[in-house]
Amino acid sequence: MLEIRALDVDIDGSRILSRVDIDVTQGEFVCLIGRNGAGKSTTFRTIMGQRKPVGGCVAFKGQELAGLSTFQIARLGIGFSPEESEVFADLTVAENIEMPTWVAGNRSTRSAAERIGMAYQMFPKLEGYRSRGGGQLSGGERKMLSIARALVLDPELLLLDEPFEGLSPVVIPQISEGLAAIRKGGRAILIAESQFHHVPDFTDRLYVIERGEIVFQGTVAQAERDAATMQILRGTDGA
Amino acid sequence: MAAFAEIVLGGLFHAAVLFLVAAGLQLVFGVQKIVNLACGAFYALGAYVGASAAKWAIGVGLPTPLVLVVVLLAGLACAVIGPPLERVLRTVYDRDESFQLLLTFAFLLMFQDLFRIGWGANPQTTGSLFLSFGTLDLGLFKTPAYNVFVIAVAITVAAGLGWFLQRTNFGRLLRATAENRAMAEAVGVNARAMFSVVFTLGVALGTVGGALVVPASAASLDMAAELVVEAFAVVVIGGLGSISGALAGAVIVGLVRAAAIVFYAEAELLAIYAIVIAVLILRPAGLFGKEAV
Repeated sequence: MLEIRALDVDIDGSRILSRVDIDVTQGEFVCLIGRNGAGKSTTFRTIMGQRKPVGGCVAFKGQELAGLSTFQIARLGIGFSPEESEVFADLTVAENIEMPTWVAGNRSTRSAAERIGMAYQMFPKLEGYRSRGGGQLSGGERKMLSIARALVLDPELLLLDEPFEGLSPVVIPQISEGLAAIRKGGRAILIAESQFHHVPDFTDRLYVIERGEIVFQGTVAQAERDAATMQILRGTDGA
Repeated sequence: MAAFAEIVLGGLFHAAVLFLVAAGLQLVFGVQKIVNLACGAFYALGAYVGASAAKWAIGVGLPTPLVLVVVLLAGLACAVIGPPLERVLRTVYDRDESFQLLLTFAFLLMFQDLFRIGWGANPQTTGSLFLSFGTLDLGLFKTPAYNVFVIAVAITVAAGLGWFLQRTNFGRLLRATAENRAMAEAVGVNARAMFSVVFTLGVALGTVGGALVVPASAASLDMAAELVVEAFAVVVIGGLGSISGALAGAVIVGLVRAAAIVFYAEAELLAIYAIVIAVLILRPAGLFGKEAV
């Protein structure tokens, strides 16, 4: 579904991503793990068309994304929740959630009400905050809202940058279960994670990124058998 | 007391027109992050085209209320220049602010020459059209009914704009794009298409403002630059990017200007800019501006 091949990205003249290869197939839950600054967010921003690669390519469902604008990529069916959540403070919680249904050109076959219902079902806590301003939420609530908003696009692929960041230990299993349920619906999910202990146990595959390069790919079990990889992963937990 | 009321009403009349232009400026800045120095040219364009439309309408013998309708429609029709101008502006969206200022300033100067070519150097009037609407006797004093009409139009536009931005989905998408364009695009918003709409709306606010003012004054070559100076005072006082700020700023500038004209006309701009400086020192983001992050 998502194919990233030999992706090179420069920011201000320095190489941030170097020959990155990532594949995500339908219904798969994939985790891109690495330390802060390793290049996870840059990978996501490049998929969304917010950064232009200097080499390599990104394709979604066989379609090359180079040359497409961010809004076109979103409308193809990629939902994005960035690391800083980026909830619209000027809109209420309900408006943030409904926003993707106001935009024309979405390929979803579900009705707006159905898509919005899905998001509240996943994050029932948000239901109680409907009329609250996006700027009046805690970090964890913003995170939920940001994921809910991406979900309302009814995407086939969800890109979640650090979905567990700022969430209380009580909420993490809830979100984790929510993500498992989203995947059961046939969607693919790619998450970026900087802490190994956050990686859900139902993760299909793991990509370890270090200084802009993919240094390992495989299952969690395979990673645990690889001493060099485990050293990097343990480093992420210590940070 | 009567003198005071006259200052207030005269100030509000000027504030009404100033608000329309400043609201256009704020809308364009809020969403597109472009400080549009050409806003004064749109105002002047509306005034010139409005004056010509009035002459034509009076010439063919339309009744006075219909003349006014023709003038306002002519002002609104001037907004057709919005999309092509926005197309040119696209070349500087990703460039330094100084390029944006230079380009919109170039628009202002070019329009000034176009006005000179099209209408000559003499001011264009509508032959005191506003007087034919009669005067309103408000007990203490009398005022031209037209001035009250202009204030009412501005209040209606302000309310309509507020409703549009707060209560319609397109308005909400505009606010979201103004707040965080990259994220709005990631939700599927076509910001470029939105820019064209916003810019045209900004132009329309200016041209309608110009068309509204021309029956009570005249279209002249220096009105564009004069208005830019005042509109910027409004924006700095109210806070850049805020429509409520434009309203508050326009009322303050309008009233101060009217008071200065009565008491000490030479100090008109001095008084306005003294307030601008006070706001910049005491509340740099403006009365309704969000503090810079």
